[in-house]
Amino acid sequence: MSSQDDDKLIEGHDYDGIQELNNPLPKWWMITFFLTIIFAIFYYAYYEILSGPSSDQELATKMQKVEAAQEAAKPSLDKIVASINREELRSDAQMMKKAKKIFKRKCAACHGREGQGMIGPNLTDKYWMHSKGDFKGVLEAIREGFPEKGMQAWKEIIDENQQLYLTEFVLGFQGTNPANPKEPQGELIE
Amino acid sequence: MSLQMDELKTQHYDDKTVVHFLWATLFWGVIAFVVGLLAALQLSYWGFNLNLEWLTFGRVRPLHTNAAIFAFAGNAIFAGIYHSTQRLCRVRMFSDALSKIHFWGWQLIIVSAAITLPLGFSQSKEYAELEWPIDIAITLVWVVFAINFFMTLKNRKEKHMYVALWFYIATIITVAVLHIFNSIEIPVGYLNSYPVYAGIQDALVQWWYGHNAVAFFLTTPFLGLMYYYIPKAANRPVYSYKLSIIHFWALIFIYIWAGPHHLLNTALPDWAQTLGVVFSVMLWAPSWGGMINGILTLRGAWDLLRTDPIIKFLITAVTFYGMSTFEGPLLSIKAVSSLGHYTDWIVAHVHGGTLGWNGFLVFGMIYYLVPKLYQTDLYSKKLATLHFWIGLAGILIYYLSMWAAGITQGLMWRAINEAGQLVYPDFVETVTAIVPLYWVRALGGTLYIIGTIIMLYNLRQTVKASKGLREEKVTAPLTERKKNDHEDKGHRKLEGMMVTFSILSFIAIAVGSAIEIIPILTVNDYAKYEKVIEPFSPLEIAGRDIYIREGCYTCHSQMIRKLDFDVLRFGKASTIEESMYDRPFQWGSKRTGPDLARVGKKYPHLWHYKHMENPRSTVAGSIMPNYPWLLDKKTDFYSLRRKIYVLKSLGVPYADEVVKNADKVAEEQAKIIADELRAQGVNDDKLEQKEVVALIAYLQELGQKPLIRNINLEK
Repeated sequence: MSSQDDDKLIEGHDYDGIQELNNPLPKWWMITFFLTIIFAIFYYAYYEILSGPSSDQELATKMQKVEAAQEAAKPSLDKIVASINREELRSDAQMMKKAKKIFKRKCAACHGREGQGMIGPNLTDKYWMHSKGDFKGVLEAIREGFPEKGMQAWKEIIDENQQLYLTEFVLGFQGTNPANPKEPQGELIE
Repeated sequence: MSLQMDELKTQHYDDKTVVHFLWATLFWGVIAFVVGLLAALQLSYWGFNLNLEWLTFGRVRPLHTNAAIFAFAGNAIFAGIYHSTQRLCRVRMFSDALSKIHFWGWQLIIVSAAITLPLGFSQSKEYAELEWPIDIAITLVWVVFAINFFMTLKNRKEKHMYVALWFYIATIITVAVLHIFNSIEIPVGYLNSYPVYAGIQDALVQWWYGHNAVAFFLTTPFLGLMYYYIPKAANRPVYSYKLSIIHFWALIFIYIWAGPHHLLNTALPDWAQTLGVVFSVMLWAPSWGGMINGILTLRGAWDLLRTDPIIKFLITAVTFYGMSTFEGPLLSIKAVSSLGHYTDWIVAHVHGGTLGWNGFLVFGMIYYLVPKLYQTDLYSKKLATLHFWIGLAGILIYYLSMWAAGITQGLMWRAINEAGQLVYPDFVETVTAIVPLYWVRALGGTLYIIGTIIMLYNLRQTVKASKGLREEKVTAPLTERKKNDHEDKGHRKLEGMMVTFSILSFIAIAVGSAIEIIPILTVNDYAKYEKVIEPFSPLEIAGRDIYIREGCYTCHSQMIRKLDFDVLRFGKASTIEESMYDRPFQWGSKRTGPDLARVGKKYPHLWHYKHMENPRSTVAGSIMPNYPWLLDKKTDFYSLRRKIYVLKSLGVPYADEVVKNADKVAEEQAKIIADELRAQGVNDDKLEQKEVVALIAYLQELGQKPLIRNINLEK
């Protein structure tokens, strides 16, 4: 124990041999404490007494921005469908393989690995519940889903370009005859 | 005074109780750590539940937290308090009988927790999962502890109470208040109950409790231990008496307000969130006051840090305390919380505190105490030093891996591209991205356990070489309390007044509690008349109780925060009304899986059925365990009348017809769902009786209940 400390020992403070020094509160510590208190006062005053935005307002502002960005980036389905060449899609073996993989991961749980239907409808027959079985209809079904029927919208989950190949892949089920097909649903479209 | 008659009598300190608590600490500590490792492995690979419902993450996680907090840290606190209080008061504990009841009562509570939690008896309120009979037992044992402690204080031969005792006083009073108010529940069975608080009230009361369990179970008692064992082990005076006073009062007054920082950006009213933010920020300096006093006590003896493993443990513990109490206020800033909340960053933060601060302080204390109590030397300083380094490596690996995992996932969740869409819309890909880090974390935990085993060996050898426990004599003569030659003033005077000091401590913690909680309890009133939501049907309640039993809340939140990326991913932000009848609330605190607040009707029944049977059949890459027993077990329709009756008595607007026929109403609804599932190909004649159907009924209604106005509550 240095003699310098002995000077600062508080007389009479001895508990089971533990003594206490009389060091002052560290300055930087005091300043930190006061600064946090000042922050607290201003922060509380701004949000709860003055005109600080409520959490609902803050969310609304952010959502406006997000929705504006979505609006601006919205692709026109008609344009896309008009500009594609289905032959070209089909001939890109690599992308079609990827589409098959995506189908297995995301779609097969409901539509079956061979599109035979299970939780969701059969994709191999000529009966369609929502779309007319054309390219645009199936693409739209994939993109927007039918949330009320239990099919989710995939437009944000599956890459934009990849959706086209997936559509082509799904249409490729037409005319195949997998085992255990689900009974037809929807309307017959020849 | 009559005490002078006893002057020549000598007393022994009750060190047997201390040793009992010490061995209990080690015993439960190893179990808590191993169960923690099991939970960690289950997140690395889902199959580590061995397909046993009792070992599934949702039940193992509460077992781990309860064992770590109440069994490991709890017994350690009691050991340290029983040891140091007697010495600081220079008197034996008030009653040997109460000490025994305290010890065995507490172990019994732990055993009952270790049995009921894996069986799925849980209130689902974090760190307060235990069911009502155990809650009552905890209250009784705590009262025994309090009487024993305060009577010892009353008998003390030392006029003034040392700072360690202040912290013990605040601990005992506040834990009692927290436990009692958070546990007010109505039993619906021997091991089942519904809390009186619902939704937002339950959330606020729970996190007032949860946050202050950290404050008054894992912080204040440990600060008390720090104030005794660091000066003792280092043989150095405490750095600053003044700092002790200021930081003690500031800490206990401010801490109690900070609970709402667990609920930032949620449906909790803004003013309560704002209070949570500002008081958490103000908590930074008072917390660091303790750290400064702990570390600077070593001034003039820094070399001990190099040579003495006990000092290594104690000072490193205080350093982790400093880091955690800086990180805490940081995470309480709303913007930082929006990144860290629900992720593994919080898990990192907690374990920095528990493994570093609590664990290392306990290890340091034990290495100090065992040789002292057994009047021998530690068997091997080298092994203790090895334990220190292995343990430290374990903590750092744990901390860093979970930090990386949490921040990575937090950034993936919030990434929005120029088209206003989520960059990682598929939740599961934000999980598979961090699974490798879960393996790294498990490695950290393993190292920590290896260190603990080294300690056990070291202690065993120490005790073996000793002549056994000998209770220390009170060396000072048993005179009445020392008198001062001058009058005490200010705080010094208070230190001689046990009752006044305790009352002031109580007031310090009661102010913040009352100001935050009372207004929220009245929320019920406006919700009742202006916005009322349709309550869950009896079958959905049965499903909800299964959801709680399985601990789904340990991985799934039901609270879409007021954040753009939460709304984009999960739908409209959650409102107060949506959980207004939720007893207990299920907002959750961690998203290992996606939020479920609006999962209702998102998938067909069959999707859920298959998902429960094997989550990977519908979500490739999922780390959720299989729940095959839900497909076999039968739903408890029988207790539904009682349950619905209790809920109605708590204010949920059920028609009398529904209460009377709750089981029949539920069976009818189950039949409809079961028929639909069978039509889609599920092959089970008795499907309507199975738990999976009740759970599906509940899940399909999440976020789907309509608002109804002017409901006639009398009906």
